[in-house]
Amino acid sequence: MLVLDHITARHGPWALAADGYFSEGIHLVTGDVGSGKSTLALIMAGLFLPEKGTVRRERIQTVMLSSQFPEFHLTGLTVGEECASWGLDAEKVIRSTGLYITAATQSLCLSRGELKRLHLACALGRPYDLLLLDEPFSSLDCSEKERLCTELSRQHEGITVIFTHEQVIFPRVDRIWEIVDGRLTDCGDLPGALERWRHAPSLIKKLVRAETVPENLTPEDIREAACRIQE
Amino acid sequence: MQDPRIILASAALLSLAAFVSIWGAALALIWWLAFTPRHRLLKNRPALFVMAALIAIVSGLASLTGGSGISYFIRMTVILLIGAWLFAGLKEGDILSVSVWGLGNKGFEIGVTAEMGMQMAYALFEDCTRIRIALNLKGQDWGIRTIQPAGHLLIRDALQRAEDTAELLAMRGYRDGGTLCPVFHPQRWDAIGGICAAGILVFAVVVGVSEFFILYR
Repeated sequence: MLVLDHITARHGPWALAADGYFSEGIHLVTGDVGSGKSTLALIMAGLFLPEKGTVRRERIQTVMLSSQFPEFHLTGLTVGEECASWGLDAEKVIRSTGLYITAATQSLCLSRGELKRLHLACALGRPYDLLLLDEPFSSLDCSEKERLCTELSRQHEGITVIFTHEQVIFPRVDRIWEIVDGRLTDCGDLPGALERWRHAPSLIKKLVRAETVPENLTPEDIREAACRIQE
Repeated sequence: MQDPRIILASAALLSLAAFVSIWGAALALIWWLAFTPRHRLLKNRPALFVMAALIAIVSGLASLTGGSGISYFIRMTVILLIGAWLFAGLKEGDILSVSVWGLGNKGFEIGVTAEMGMQMAYALFEDCTRIRIALNLKGQDWGIRTIQPAGHLLIRDALQRAEDTAELLAMRGYRDGGTLCPVFHPQRWDAIGGICAAGILVFAVVVGVSEFFILYR
C-alpha cells in the first residue's frame, strides 16, 4: 500500500496538496495540464521531496516511474542495449512493440512515438510493486492507446497509478482520483466514482446524466452504457 | 552579489590570483567564504567532488614525481570553487549583457555564443541527472558498463541540441549581430567584493614576483 500523508508541494503561487492511500489495483489520477500530476508522480516515486508530509510505502520493494518523455529513460545507445538495461530480452520486446526495428537500431534514431512504444514495452515487461505511468498515452495513436489499455487492464498484481488528462481511451480501472484546485480528491471506486468525477469526459457526463452509468471506463463498458440509452 | 560585470571580473581576478601563488589561493578562498553562499554551492553537487578527486589524482602524481602537488591541489581546488560560484551565480542573459556592455553591439555575437555554451553546460548537467535517475529506476548503478553508453548519449544529445538551436535560429531568419540595452543593478556589497578581488590579485602578483626574486638570488 502507498500512503500519502498530508503531502504539500509548492512552487511560487502554484501548490499541490495530497492525502490518501493507494491499495493494490489500477488507479487513475486525472487533472488539467499543470495541475500537478507529474509532480505527484515524482513524489510517489521518491524523486521529489514534498515541502511537507510523508510518503509511506508498505510492502513495496520495486518502484518504476514511467515519465511522459520516453527519452528520459534512455541509457542504451541501441535498442538491444536499452532492452538489456531493463533486464529484458531485446527480440521479445521488439516483437511486442510491433515496430520494424532490430536490436542494432540506434535508440536515438527512433521517433518520439516509436521510442514511447519501446519504453512502454520495457516498463510493462517486468512486474513492479508500484508502477507509476505519467501520461502513458502521449505520443501514441488511437490503435496503440487501445493496445496499451488492453495490456494495462491485464495487470492484476501490484499498484498501478496512471496519471493522465486523456479524455477518450481508458483501461479498466479500480479507482479514480482527481486533482482539482490544487488538491488530490478521491472520487472512489467504480462505477460510483463516475458520478463524483468533476472533470469527467463529456461522454461519461452525458451517460451519468442519462442515468446509464457505465460499469467501468473501457470502450466496451461505455458502448454498453450508450446502448442502454438507445433502448 | 548581483552585478554580472563584477561577478565575471571577480572570478577572473581571483582565478588568476589563485593560479599565481599559494598565498593568492588562500586569500581567494577567504574571499569565497566571505562573499558567496558557499553552503548552497556545495550542496548536491557530485560533479564538483568528482572534479576535485581528479585534481587530487593529478596532484598525487605530481608529488610522487617530485613536483609541488599540494600547492597545485590547493590552487586548483580554489579555482574550482570560484568556477562553481560563477556557474551558479550567473543568470540567463548575464554574459550577453556584459559582452554588449564591454564591446558594444559588436559583442552581441560573442555574448550569444557564450550564452549558448553556458546553456549547453546546464543541459549536460540535467542530462547527467536524468541518466542517473533512469539507471536508478532500472536498478543499475554508475559503473564502467553504464558510463560508456551514457557518455555516448550525452554527446549525441549535445550535438542534437546544437543542431536544433542552429535550425531554429536559421528558421527565424537570424543571420548575424543584434542589439541590446543591458541594465545592471550594482549594490555596495558588489563593489566591496570587486575591490577585494582586485586587491587579492595585486597581493598575489607582488608576493609571487618577490618570491621569484628571492629564489633567483
